[in-house]
Amino acid sequence: MVETQLVTSIVPPLAFVLPIIGAAGVVPFTANAPRLRKAALAAICVLEVIVAASFVPGVLSGSEYQTHLVQLTPRIWMYLHVDALGALFGLTASVLWLIALVYSFGYMEGEHRLGRYYAFFMLALSWTMGVAYAGNLLTFLIFYELFSLLTYPLIVHEETPEAMAAGTKYIIYILIGGSLVLLAIVFTFFLAGDQTLAAQGGLLALSMGKGKLVAVFWCFVAGFGVKAALVPLHGWVPDAHPAAPAPFSAVLSGVMVAAGSFGIMRVVFNVFGVALLRELDVMRWLTYFAAFTVVFAALLAVSQDNLKRRLAYSTISQMGYVALGIGLLGEEAATGAIVHIANHAFMKGALFLCAGLLIKRAGIRNVSDLSGIAQKMPVTTAAFAIATLAMIGTPPLSGFVSKWFLGLGMLDVGQPWYLAVLLGGALLAAVYLLPIVYAAYFRPPSAAVMALPERVGGEAPASMLVPLIAAVVLVIVLGIASSVPGMPLSLARLAAGIAFK
Amino acid sequence: MTPSSLLVGIIVVPLAGAVLTPVIGGKAGKHAWTWATTVMVATSVIAAALVNQVARTGPFSAYLGGWERPYGIELRFDEFSASVAVICLLGLLAIVFSQKYAAKELPPARLGTYYTLLLLNLTGMLGFVVTGDLFNLFVFMEILSLSGYALVAISGERTAEMAAFKYLVMGAVSSLLVLFAIGLLYALTGSLNMADISDRLTGSAEVPAMLALALLTTGFMVKAALFPLHVWLPDAHAIAPSPVSAILSGLVVKTGLLGMIRVYQIYYGAKVLDLSSLNTVLVWLGAISIVMGAFFAIFQEDIKMMLAYSTISNIGYIVMGLGLASQYGIIGATVHIFNHALIKATLFLGAGALIYQTGYRNLSDLRGVGRSMPFTTAAISVGAISIVGMPPTAGFLCKWYIALGAVQAGHPVFGVALVFGALFIFVYYIRMVNSFYFQAPIHPEILEVKEAPLTMLAPVLILAALCLAMGLLGRIPLSFIEPAVTRLLGTLGG
Repeated sequence: MVETQLVTSIVPPLAFVLPIIGAAGVVPFTANAPRLRKAALAAICVLEVIVAASFVPGVLSGSEYQTHLVQLTPRIWMYLHVDALGALFGLTASVLWLIALVYSFGYMEGEHRLGRYYAFFMLALSWTMGVAYAGNLLTFLIFYELFSLLTYPLIVHEETPEAMAAGTKYIIYILIGGSLVLLAIVFTFFLAGDQTLAAQGGLLALSMGKGKLVAVFWCFVAGFGVKAALVPLHGWVPDAHPAAPAPFSAVLSGVMVAAGSFGIMRVVFNVFGVALLRELDVMRWLTYFAAFTVVFAALLAVSQDNLKRRLAYSTISQMGYVALGIGLLGEEAATGAIVHIANHAFMKGALFLCAGLLIKRAGIRNVSDLSGIAQKMPVTTAAFAIATLAMIGTPPLSGFVSKWFLGLGMLDVGQPWYLAVLLGGALLAAVYLLPIVYAAYFRPPSAAVMALPERVGGEAPASMLVPLIAAVVLVIVLGIASSVPGMPLSLARLAAGIAFK
Repeated sequence: MTPSSLLVGIIVVPLAGAVLTPVIGGKAGKHAWTWATTVMVATSVIAAALVNQVARTGPFSAYLGGWERPYGIELRFDEFSASVAVICLLGLLAIVFSQKYAAKELPPARLGTYYTLLLLNLTGMLGFVVTGDLFNLFVFMEILSLSGYALVAISGERTAEMAAFKYLVMGAVSSLLVLFAIGLLYALTGSLNMADISDRLTGSAEVPAMLALALLTTGFMVKAALFPLHVWLPDAHAIAPSPVSAILSGLVVKTGLLGMIRVYQIYYGAKVLDLSSLNTVLVWLGAISIVMGAFFAIFQEDIKMMLAYSTISNIGYIVMGLGLASQYGIIGATVHIFNHALIKATLFLGAGALIYQTGYRNLSDLRGVGRSMPFTTAAISVGAISIVGMPPTAGFLCKWYIALGAVQAGHPVFGVALVFGALFIFVYYIRMVNSFYFQAPIHPEILEVKEAPLTMLAPVLILAALCLAMGLLGRIPLSFIEPAVTRLLGTLGG
């Protein structure tokens, strides 16, 4: 492997500045020019993808980028640092955001308070990119808290009593999680001083006291676990997803929940480091929780009738895979976990975009009303079917790639019994998703579907269908072309390789 | 201008300004606002020069009439005295804000009195933080307290008079305690100069020294409204005119804390007593204050009442930081004294603007106001995010430093209490934000309300911008105060 070299660059701050420009510089002044607003915001998101992608070739060839921004306290800088893991997360987020933004143009047509929606949607992207590229714990915390808190307006956007209740639940869970993270970071800072996130961890050492380290570790995991929806900290997820507008549900599930898993990765790989965690012997507890999450959430998903709720439980289950992959402390398993964040983002994004189309164009929110919908909405149903197959882990789609590496990792670390969890989760995914596809194609139309008027023209405006198709294409490409350099798998391998060097 | 004349000027200029206000303000206080603004601009310039001086050379003194201590009266300007900058800034902004507000809320005959009292109050605070003499400290405390009582009552409403009376009774008791303690210290040491008392107290009798300490602490904690000595605060702060609320909540309660820092300077230096038991009590009371303040605030419907209870929580943070007696804890507490002043002034002035424009002060009546007054409510929201300690705003520094201080002092449990206490505070600010933005208005006409006039909007926006900037530029106040705290703890010998 090539030795990494650190390059000081002015590009990383652009990643979080651009969306702020969109939120503060475009949205307030285009209230009466919706077309201009859409064009400008889309342009910003495209630029964002370019910025995020621009790091990839460099990172793959062994460069990492850093920027010192401002000095927050006499000892701590606000500091950005793009490494392989961050580059992958940033790229995933920016691409999914672009897809969801374009989808919003169609979905949010005629909704209220659009200015607020777009402003906070762009801001959420900004904070996510900050999380991806944060180079030390305090910078991470700043963006993490901002993006926990300032997505509240998006979750309660519809202002219905259910949305408000879901928002309250969300904010309570997230704040408690955030407080735990803050405490953990305070302790880490006290023990280690201001250190940047290191490639192989090593901020902390066993000499600091095992009890303290274990406490800090669980503080971190519990804090991030709330966002990563580790059972039993997952309570906000099933309520928040149905309440939020569909495009935001897509990024909420695809990227924001994953940000919790990303936080756990940062803690495991870059704060503690693999070697120290092996000595502390805490990770097997994480894998127990993760394995339980995979199965438990999948079982709950089976009985949900509300489609978005069912998908939300599926997210919890899938994030369990990621935590499981981290917890096994093996290079292959870590590769699987990291790449699953990217793969899951587009699979789940596609599924939520389908759910949004069903709500918007057919008025259907429940699984039981979906029978026969394929006749009326063929593109949506086909997209749903492909994403479902990927979610189950059918080769050659993207979900298969991550599960393959997770499975290899389980064998690699000599814990093959986790394969039962892996396969059980996949089986349950088939149980809770495939019947939907089956009913949509082969069952006689339900009353709700029968009542739909014959549409003239396409099944939905292009601004909703094109992003959906883009997401599905990504699901396929990330599977078939997974070994091409520059694809998530190459970055995930690099990131895992560095962490386990 | 020499540093000495600047030090004298920071007291004399606003004092003379206050005395001259009735004369220059003219009949019915027509020009009182212009005059008061001019005076505060001049005072702010002096304050800036003083802070610049202390940043370059460290603490310095002025001896009135050329009599060195312990014989003459000493004015002493150290890093803690740099709060003059915040006092002047808030004073200036509150006075600017008052132009329209006071003209509407107060009888015209009282306008002159209002500005006079405001200037006197600010003079009292400026004198309080720059004096090196314990008796002077008491005199300035009385100036600011008496003008404070009058300012609470100035609207002349029945409830205002009641609140002012309650405030007066508690305030008078606290003044009495402080005065008695000063008498004790004088009897013990024969001196009124604080640095001199500190020197002479070493080796003196323990019991009277302890009594004096207890009296000073209690007296100042009443002024600071630490739980359970807070009962006067909510009514007084909620009922006073909003600019006055901003001054009272942002600054006046802080004089109790700055007084406490002076007490620490005397006693840590004297090494006559072991202060750790006092500190333990303060840390616990601080923790209880955080939770109780937040708890009461949750049940308030009146926006200003809610903000008033929130002050009690924040005083709890600061007292906890002081009581932890660790480097990080005291730095965090001191910086929060300044930052909370900015944040609370943002909130109170913002709330004042809402009340002025809509005529409502209950959260449920204010529903939907976010649409008609976007700038004011945005500023209040920034203040709310800041006061709950979200990074990277000004309020976060306090949480970060005091939590670190708790770990440093070996009591991480207080860090946990602090961080989770802050969650309670979140609960009611979420309620406020919900009612501004996400709930359907009860009074539809609230959507037709206009944004506040510029003299009210500008101070609120400036303060909100500072709430953000002081977080991102936290290094400046933190590194500024660090040497002073190191000196203070150095005298402790730890």
